[in-house]
Amino acid sequence: MDINVAVAGFNMTPCSSDLVTTRERMTFELSSGLFDDLGITRDDVGTYIIATNDFLDGRTISNVFLDAPVGAYMKDESKVEMDGLNALMYACMRIMTGQYETALVLAFGLTGYQVSPYLHIDYIMDPTYDRQVKLLNELSAAALQARCYLDKFGYSEELLDEIAAKDLSNAALDPYQLRQLSDISKEKVKGSDYLYEPLRELHCYPPTDGGIVVLLASGEKAKELTDKPVWIKGMGQSIDPYYIGDRDLSVSPSTTQAAKRAYDMAGITDPKGQVDVAEISSLFACQEPLLAEALGLLDQGRAADVYASGDTAIDGKLPINPSGGPLGAHPICATGLLRMAEAVRQLRGEAEKNQVAKAETAVVHGQDGVCAQQNVVVVLGT
Amino acid sequence: MRNVGIIGVGYTPVFVSKRKDVSIPEMISEAVDAAFDNTGLTPQDIDAITFGNMHTFEGVNMPHLWGAEHIRSLGKPVMRIATGGTTGMSAFQAGYYHVASGLHDVVMIVTYEKHSEGDAQVGLMGIITPEVMAMLASGIDVTGGKGMGAIGGGSAGGISYQAMSYLNHAGAGIEHIDGIAAMERRNAAKNPYAHLKDPNATAETIAKTPLVSYPIRFGHICPTTDGATVCIIASEEKAKELADKVAWVWAVSNCASDATTGNLIEGLITDPAEQMPCIIAARQAYERAGIKDPKTEFDVIEIYNGFAHQTLMFLEKLGVCEVGEAHKLLEAGELERDGRFPTNASGGVVSTNAIGTSALNRVTECALQIMGKADKRQVPDAKIALSSGFGGCWWSDLLMYGEKKPM
Repeated sequence: MDINVAVAGFNMTPCSSDLVTTRERMTFELSSGLFDDLGITRDDVGTYIIATNDFLDGRTISNVFLDAPVGAYMKDESKVEMDGLNALMYACMRIMTGQYETALVLAFGLTGYQVSPYLHIDYIMDPTYDRQVKLLNELSAAALQARCYLDKFGYSEELLDEIAAKDLSNAALDPYQLRQLSDISKEKVKGSDYLYEPLRELHCYPPTDGGIVVLLASGEKAKELTDKPVWIKGMGQSIDPYYIGDRDLSVSPSTTQAAKRAYDMAGITDPKGQVDVAEISSLFACQEPLLAEALGLLDQGRAADVYASGDTAIDGKLPINPSGGPLGAHPICATGLLRMAEAVRQLRGEAEKNQVAKAETAVVHGQDGVCAQQNVVVVLGT
Repeated sequence: MRNVGIIGVGYTPVFVSKRKDVSIPEMISEAVDAAFDNTGLTPQDIDAITFGNMHTFEGVNMPHLWGAEHIRSLGKPVMRIATGGTTGMSAFQAGYYHVASGLHDVVMIVTYEKHSEGDAQVGLMGIITPEVMAMLASGIDVTGGKGMGAIGGGSAGGISYQAMSYLNHAGAGIEHIDGIAAMERRNAAKNPYAHLKDPNATAETIAKTPLVSYPIRFGHICPTTDGATVCIIASEEKAKELADKVAWVWAVSNCASDATTGNLIEGLITDPAEQMPCIIAARQAYERAGIKDPKTEFDVIEIYNGFAHQTLMFLEKLGVCEVGEAHKLLEAGELERDGRFPTNASGGVVSTNAIGTSALNRVTECALQIMGKADKRQVPDAKIALSSGFGGCWWSDLLMYGEKKPM
């Protein structure tokens, strides 16, 4: 299927632990910054999709006060209350109908200053049982997933240290990332405290403030707006059961299903051979190889060897999260779009110190829910 | 753009104040099962799902995750949409774009609200509380004109401002709000999926209900309802294969405004009865559907009216009649099911308001009318229908449907 929609441009904030700004101001600066970059005004934008979360923002209908600052005032705007990559899919569909030539997607998460960034997930928990018993929360569930994954293949906890060290050293090269740790090493990761065994602090995402706007455009329009359009080649999404007891947490069937849809559209039959770079929303170190396996980029059971060999590093055979991924920064709702933006930087050859050698096809992944219950995959190409 | 048709509808068996017998996912599954029963489809026929509700009303974040099995979504794409009162129609429009873009053939739209699990007014105040807090923190006096937002966050306060303004513009009186509320309660009595029903309601009985915030009386206000609604849509090819009767979508449109400019900043207060987004959305929808004269072409109209005066107000904004004419149509009985402009034959939102479903019910009721499946509330000879959604920051969603395929 020929989607014929491209990423014409994006504008993102460097992530921080406290942006010291209002949602409205950040939104205005993001969208007006993008308009200035592209030399357009809000009149050139056909439709808007916003991805924020009421529980995260602490307010009902959280897009209510965003329409004016983002430029959607008196225009067609809707809200996808999920990871921003889903909003990107919706915006893409709107352009595919031919009703609109351009669509702007906004997503942000401001959790850096909150009491707990994990409340967002706590409210996803079943209110009758899980929320009362309080055994399950985002971290404890992720720790169960990590334990499942490590035990299934007989890996030691050092695999998590290795993954985190790789991601965090990549993140230190990327000015958009929050965690900028100099001379990070496996030993340093291992030196951080357990949050929930086997997950240590540096195996987990940091509470983050950050946001992004992306402008999508139909084929002709995209070529007018930019010299380097990056094309959306495929997209797919799928969902797993809710109760983690109903799932095998060491695998992610919904990621595989989402990837199959995206790969079919993009004509990818051999992901290992055809994909040059992957940006994966792995909120915890254990999720990176797990999701990469589900995406068909890694063989099951070989994670320890692959990470030890350096194949997933920036200069490796198949770089995974050359930006550092969500271990560097995770502004909930915006993370999937940040992954997309990092992939676009790679495909345009603008990723500077994080640039991989060959980047023509990229896979981007986003997730929602406990232990990545719902997953979305987008394939980008030059 | 591909043609899209509505091929099936499913409701929970009842829409009532409290469903104590079922949990949230169980209640949703009732409507999903009803949609499958009514259409003869199975979950395997569904390619993708869009899902909508306002989750701050029940305190469960992203409940489509909780209901994944109950909405038969495992292994399928699910997109969650939330836009306040318009949620149901916004979710429908998302489903529409899923099909019209060519990505999916059969899409199910699932919406619900179980108000009894939470407090709707607390949820609604959550729209504005952070703004008021910010104003307090920066030393702004919230008791004067700038504090308009503080009352706009709950419902009745801000809406009474709108109703007053509308009555003044239209030259109508509070008795007309009584009259339209009574008509909708009577219509609701014929709808098995309505909540507040009163076959004997008259303007006089409504006028006896207590004033809440002038001119809004208790009898003008929607209830908080537990219920779920499901709608199944399909591409032209699939619709012909799967359904005997199809309500074709002629156009969708949406226009957003901004609560800030409407409510908060002194000097920038716009009139909440102006409803510019509705006027713009109507213009776009008529253009897309090739409607030349909205005053004559619609056989059925379903309007989102959390409060009774909004029926009259939106009829004028939609161009179905001139400004100041709607209450005269009401007096002449033209808005009744057998009148020239059959409006809210379902009883409207003012009779049934499970918020996530409310705007989708406007869609499904129009679809049932066009399919000729609306039973006792059927409007004779319904061929072209119009429905509106209203929510959040004064924004509007519109949909138009026909018995025939769009041009």
